[in-house]
Amino acid sequence: MAVDVFSVPVFLVVFREALETVIIVSVLLAFLKQTLDGPNRDLKVYKKLVRQVWLGTALGFLLCLIIGAALIGVFYTVGANKWDTTELDYEGAFCLIASVIITVVGFTLLRIGKMQEKWRVKLAAAMEAPIHTGGKMGVVKRFFEKYAMFALPFITVLREGIEAIVFVAGVTFSAPATAVPLPVVVGLIVGALIGYILYKSGSSTRLQVFLVASTCLLYLVAAGLFSRAVWSFEQQRWNKIIGGDAAELGTGVGSYDIDKSVWHTECCSPYVNGGNGWGFFNAIFGWTNAATYGSVISYNVYWLFVISSLLVIRFREVKGRWPLRKAKAPVALVEPEQSGSEGSVKDGSVPAKAVAARENAIEEKP
Amino acid sequence: MASIPTSRLSSLLLLLGSVALAGAATVTYDFNVSWVTANPDGMAERPTIGINGQWPIPIIEANVGDQLVVNVLNSLGDESTSLHFHGLFMEGSTHMDGPSQVSQCPIPPGSSFTYNFTVCHFSPSSKGRYLSNSSQQINQPGTYWYHSHTRGQYPDGLRGPMIIHDPKTPFKDRYDEELVLSVSDWYHDRMPGLLKFFMSKANPTGAEPVPNAALFNETQNLEVLVKPGKTYLFRMVNIGAFAGQYVWFEGHNITILEVDGIYTQPAEASMIYLSAAQRCSFLLTTRNDTSENFPFVASMDTTLFDTLPEDLNYNVTGWLVYDKKEPLPEPAEIPGDFEPHDDMTLVPWDNQTLYTNPDQSISLDVIMDNLNDGANYAFFNNITYTSPKVPTLYTALSAGDLATNPAVYGEYTHPFVLEKDQVVEIIVNNLDSGRHPFHLHGHAFQAVWRSEEEGGTFQDSGTTDADFPKIPMRRDTLVLYPDGNVVLRFKANNPGVWLFHCHIEWHVQSGLMATFVEAPLELQKTIEIPKDHLAACAADGIPSKGNAAGNAADFLDLSGQNAPPGPVAKGFTTRGIIALAFSCLSGIIGVIVIAWYGFADISPETYDEARHRIAESDLVAPAVEEPVAQRVETVPVVSGSGAGTSRT
Repeated sequence: MAVDVFSVPVFLVVFREALETVIIVSVLLAFLKQTLDGPNRDLKVYKKLVRQVWLGTALGFLLCLIIGAALIGVFYTVGANKWDTTELDYEGAFCLIASVIITVVGFTLLRIGKMQEKWRVKLAAAMEAPIHTGGKMGVVKRFFEKYAMFALPFITVLREGIEAIVFVAGVTFSAPATAVPLPVVVGLIVGALIGYILYKSGSSTRLQVFLVASTCLLYLVAAGLFSRAVWSFEQQRWNKIIGGDAAELGTGVGSYDIDKSVWHTECCSPYVNGGNGWGFFNAIFGWTNAATYGSVISYNVYWLFVISSLLVIRFREVKGRWPLRKAKAPVALVEPEQSGSEGSVKDGSVPAKAVAARENAIEEKP
Repeated sequence: MASIPTSRLSSLLLLLGSVALAGAATVTYDFNVSWVTANPDGMAERPTIGINGQWPIPIIEANVGDQLVVNVLNSLGDESTSLHFHGLFMEGSTHMDGPSQVSQCPIPPGSSFTYNFTVCHFSPSSKGRYLSNSSQQINQPGTYWYHSHTRGQYPDGLRGPMIIHDPKTPFKDRYDEELVLSVSDWYHDRMPGLLKFFMSKANPTGAEPVPNAALFNETQNLEVLVKPGKTYLFRMVNIGAFAGQYVWFEGHNITILEVDGIYTQPAEASMIYLSAAQRCSFLLTTRNDTSENFPFVASMDTTLFDTLPEDLNYNVTGWLVYDKKEPLPEPAEIPGDFEPHDDMTLVPWDNQTLYTNPDQSISLDVIMDNLNDGANYAFFNNITYTSPKVPTLYTALSAGDLATNPAVYGEYTHPFVLEKDQVVEIIVNNLDSGRHPFHLHGHAFQAVWRSEEEGGTFQDSGTTDADFPKIPMRRDTLVLYPDGNVVLRFKANNPGVWLFHCHIEWHVQSGLMATFVEAPLELQKTIEIPKDHLAACAADGIPSKGNAAGNAADFLDLSGQNAPPGPVAKGFTTRGIIALAFSCLSGIIGVIVIAWYGFADISPETYDEARHRIAESDLVAPAVEEPVAQRVETVPVVSGSGAGTSRT
């Protein structure tokens, strides 16, 4: 049968991971194109950021290859699948990081929609600002501000890639090796192609609609990732408890902790046999056939956080102050405006409030 | 270590002499059951259940027809106990059989308890007449064992051989000496902890703990001193918890004479397989040449183990020592598969013929599955055994005419009521991929059929009575092969409450057990529970009357009976639906809020327009050239109205 040269699970896994990666990369590229390559183009910054995106993608891919090669080397030399014992912890960590990054960048994406001009300046400022100033938090914040366009594709590619490697490696060791290369290549091509189409259509859509739609998609992914991170950590603990890999038990009893289960279906697992389509639901909506209290609560808490954050931010935009605080005297805003106009480009260590005020100020520039 | 077989041998011979003189005597054992420390494999000291401060515990020996009195004092302090005399039919004394919550209450710490019974059995030729109190020779000679039958306890040490000598054995002239050889598996951890793990959600596959060692006579490197040119009767017992064992003697063939207390036509063998609880007596004739010692090996059946730890030595070696000065050679590797003697080919010495036309046929499917606590349970059909609140025998004795109604024994003791002298057939279909040694209390059954591995269910196999042997092998513990089936028949001629269960102690705990209540009305006429038995119940607050739920007023009201956890919830329950609905709602609201926030933007055009409009309407400030500060003041107003307009 064709199974011997074309492993369907490998294809699905690679396709899924490739698509997920390309969607995120393409969203970033589309965003960059539409914000920085428009009428108010700043070609230098645009090219720099595009380079960052591609650099992140490439480095992530490269690191993936290295880790994958090292892993496969370890698989063969040690003979035991050491990776499996901690795989879920890694997956959880990557999910969590990706989720946080998407969340943070997602806010900015929406803000950009609102304040294209401001963001352009801000990004430009971020690109040129020195990193060394400021305390520890400042450094991290600055780093993500400055390198978000690098970090996001980097982390995404790394996570998806390593996940794919582990899956593919697992299948490779249990199935004939001949069944692997073809689906990997086809999966990559199809995934990239569909991603490219999305990118193209994304570019031609009106900015706002595209930004909102893609941000919604991104947040859905991020919520799923957040939930999946919690789920992965829990599942890792469970693996430890039962002293083995629960995945070996398929979707049956014992593949999950019955006391933490909220729902569990025998079918529709996003992991067994490459997910059989349920993997897509997992990737986009965070679907799992074995929901736990942790995964459900974290999913809802994530949305609660996003919703309330947006409401608060909107409140502030409309009212000019944070909720539960008294309205500021209009005069108070004069100061930040002045300091902002001077310091926004050079000063990396201003307190958060001042930065926020400064952003408002920038918004006001015609 | 060498002293063990010699001392066993001498004491055995001594006893043999004394009981032979006594005739139908009363043999009394006083057992003080308490914790001792033992380290039989030299790898780990551990608390072990001993008797009278000693472990291994003594071999019980008696002659056919003897009255046996075993006075037990439970000095364990932290565990209840009970003793089962495995293989003895306990005719007329089912209350001495030993399983807790079946024929007695467990003996609580500090309590005394007496087992008092006659070693005898019913003659198959006497058509149901009792011979237990007669002085006939129709008795139960052979190789048995005794062990705790309380909460998976015996692997902690409370297990030992029990030999019923027969001065008139048909094989009397064929051997010179008797030797008792037990084989067993050994754990370094105590059972309560292992059981807790075994029956937990952390062990969803029901993987049985793998033993840490195999033992001969509860030790290793056993040296059995033998003389040349003699024939020995070896009485072998597997007193282990779990592992079946392949046993062979290098350089010697054996002749099987007895399995599970049933004499057989002599059968030559080079290797035997003994499951947990099985026994086999065989002749072994020593060589005339004393220049070499020979190893003998018991090898645990590793197909039973879910994992095979690398440091596990699943073999135990002993030696037939002809000459102590000669070396003890290492046993040779066995090439290929083990090929033990097939016990189904044995023919009972008494040539008892096949029971035909069973009056009652009971079909039991062996299933392993998980329940709602995540643990793995064993089922006969859809029932996993759960102990009743009242020992089943006591229910039978107190239920009056309702004793013939299985309902009073509770759903989860899986009761079958048998009528007196019925021929009963038990069909066991193994829907599990493991071997299971099935044991019936109170009877030796005819093993009329056993399929090969993967034989499927008996019902599907199209096998009929015509395929059964005319003279089937009998024993009390039979191995059922993976995904195969067995058919057992026996005559319900021994009123009592008898368990039918897998003798893998783990599976006893996980519920692979059913209850046969045989001629309960007969029991009510003949059995009287001794005071110390009732006292054991009282000490633990266990009722000694009533149905399985402890209801003595209405025996058909079983509300409150002990029950296993419910089935595993599959798919979406209310909880799952609510959780999913909530999550979907969160996602949808989230997306709406994001969209709202995203579209609530002031696009550059509307922004300019609004600003322009405001600037025009502002009488005070000439808009464009004004200082920045003044425009900032207007921000909230602009944004607010901007949001409003963009939404519409």
